[in-house]
Amino acid sequence: MEKILYGAMYSFKEIKSSKIFYSFLIFALILISGSYFVSQTSFINQGRIMVDFSIFAISIFNIFIGIFIGSSVVYDDIEKKSVFLALTRPIRRTQYLIGRFLGLAAAIIFSTIIMMLIFYFVLLIMHKFIVPAMPVVKTVRHAIKPPLAGSMPFTLYSLPQPLIIQGFFIIIESVFISAAALLFSLVTSKALASIFAILVFFIGNVSSRMNDLIKPVRKVINGKTVTVHQANHTLAAIVHFIYTVLPNFSLFNISSEAAYKISVSGGGISYRIIYGICYTALLFVISSLIFASKDIA
Amino acid sequence: MIELKNVTKYFRVGFFGNKKNAVKDLSLNIEEGQVTGFFGPNGAGKSTTIKMIVGLINPSVGGIKINGYDASDYRARLKLGYLPESPSFPRGLKGIEIISYYSNLLNIRASKDAIDEALKSAGIFHAKNIQAHKYSKGMTQRLALAISILGDPEILIFDEPLSGLDPIGRKEFKDIIFKLKERKKTIFFSSHVLADSKELCDRIAVLVNGRLIKNKDVAEIEKEAEAYSEERKDNSLTGEYNTPLEIYLYDLMLKSGKN
Ligand SMILES: Nc1ncnc2c1ncn2[C@@H]1O[C@H](COP(=O)(O)OP(=O)(O)OP(=O)(O)O)[C@@H](O)[C@H]1O
Ligand SMILES: [Mg+2]
Repeated sequence: MEKILYGAMYSFKEIKSSKIFYSFLIFALILISGSYFVSQTSFINQGRIMVDFSIFAISIFNIFIGIFIGSSVVYDDIEKKSVFLALTRPIRRTQYLIGRFLGLAAAIIFSTIIMMLIFYFVLLIMHKFIVPAMPVVKTVRHAIKPPLAGSMPFTLYSLPQPLIIQGFFIIIESVFISAAALLFSLVTSKALASIFAILVFFIGNVSSRMNDLIKPVRKVINGKTVTVHQANHTLAAIVHFIYTVLPNFSLFNISSEAAYKISVSGGGISYRIIYGICYTALLFVISSLIFASKDIA
Repeated sequence: MIELKNVTKYFRVGFFGNKKNAVKDLSLNIEEGQVTGFFGPNGAGKSTTIKMIVGLINPSVGGIKINGYDASDYRARLKLGYLPESPSFPRGLKGIEIISYYSNLLNIRASKDAIDEALKSAGIFHAKNIQAHKYSKGMTQRLALAISILGDPEILIFDEPLSGLDPIGRKEFKDIIFKLKERKKTIFFSSHVLADSKELCDRIAVLVNGRLIKNKDVAEIEKEAEAYSEERKDNSLTGEYNTPLEIYLYDLMLKSGKN
């Protein structure tokens, strides 16, 4: 257990000082701050544009971090042979792998939090989209003890609930895709693993819409309800198969709720969290089974 | 005590996964408290054998036991230090950060003093606060050595410990191995240069084309070599190789390499 934590700390440090992580983080921060200027080009709905743009930037960069670091965190360690010294210590391979993965997850959490904070500050400056922190908030960040009326020199603002949830979902989604990238990197090369992970992410994002498209619909024709198949059976079967097997990433995208400050229900949140974590765990277990018997030469 | 029993390793290469033998039917006992030199030409399978011993790769056939544990079991490595062939470390981390990480992975964590001690005896203490990717090859080798001797392991496996070092470095490395030898550690190291490490060995094992062709005490091999050089009466190698032992092993490798 201790060894896993040390491994996680070490790999977090290693990722933090890696160029790819830095460049993604800095680039995302520039984009988020830049979104302020983008939103200024519009007269209406500046806040919405800002939110859409920033959430997109935050999620895409974290997913990139997940994919590119996920496919290299173990692969490079093997390639550069620095893994030799770790695996020849009295440690199980699974422990090593968990450590690496947790370090990666920590890096994703770290970068998401930093990006969300910058995003929050930009919103604060614009004075858009933020809500005054309510006295009895449980889920909202930056909440403090209920301020005595009038005794506070300034009002505390927080992000609306759906935005915070969206930030949380971005973490889950990025860790999830990084688990897929890690798994691919154990069976193919780093470049291929990144490409596969991007493909899985892309298909996972559109699969639910595709599935909706090919679903048979009921129509009322001449007073009778008939089921109309919009696609032939094989195509429907293929799409349905893809939809069932590949992860459904569109679940984690709640930008429309976020943009309209619609609160997301607790049930919806926990369902998605459980879905994400279970799928990630499954991918990780497969990875560790492969890794346990892999020749590291 | 390390026991290799009928170990064969083949790699699957190419698109069709053709078998390529790296080690063939190797049986070898590495005795406790002895220094065993593992010699052989390039591509003989030395590194492959060593990686199987330290559990990085699994034998295709046969088994390896270290102190009774299978080499793939982590408990086999409770008291084992390994120096890889050409070690390297991740970018951006300092020498001291790297060695503390590896010390944390030991079962009994090494104290700060023990880490400093290991760094000093490997001669890399002065550079502990420099990022490891800025190290020269020799410095990297020293850091890896410091990591492998950390925690005072009973078994030490070195893959070409002297390669890439300058004459001073070689001398220092050899002195370190001598000291470990005095303390009755089990040492197994590979090399293709016989001349610079013969005096370290109690035993010599020779691998050619994945097959073990010799595994004997140094004294015994030397006797054979003397006898051989009497017969040979050919001085074509003088200059490159001087001692009868070197010439004997050279011819042996050459002959077995052809078959
Ligand atoms: N991962 C691998 N995949 C395929 N073949 C391999 C792999 N590793 C080693 N080999 C092959 O196994 C054989 C033995 O290689 P090995 O590295 O053990 O040699 P060596 O004795 O250490 O040589 P050197 O003195 O050059 O270090 C070589 O023919 C090599 O091509
Ligand atoms: Mg080698």
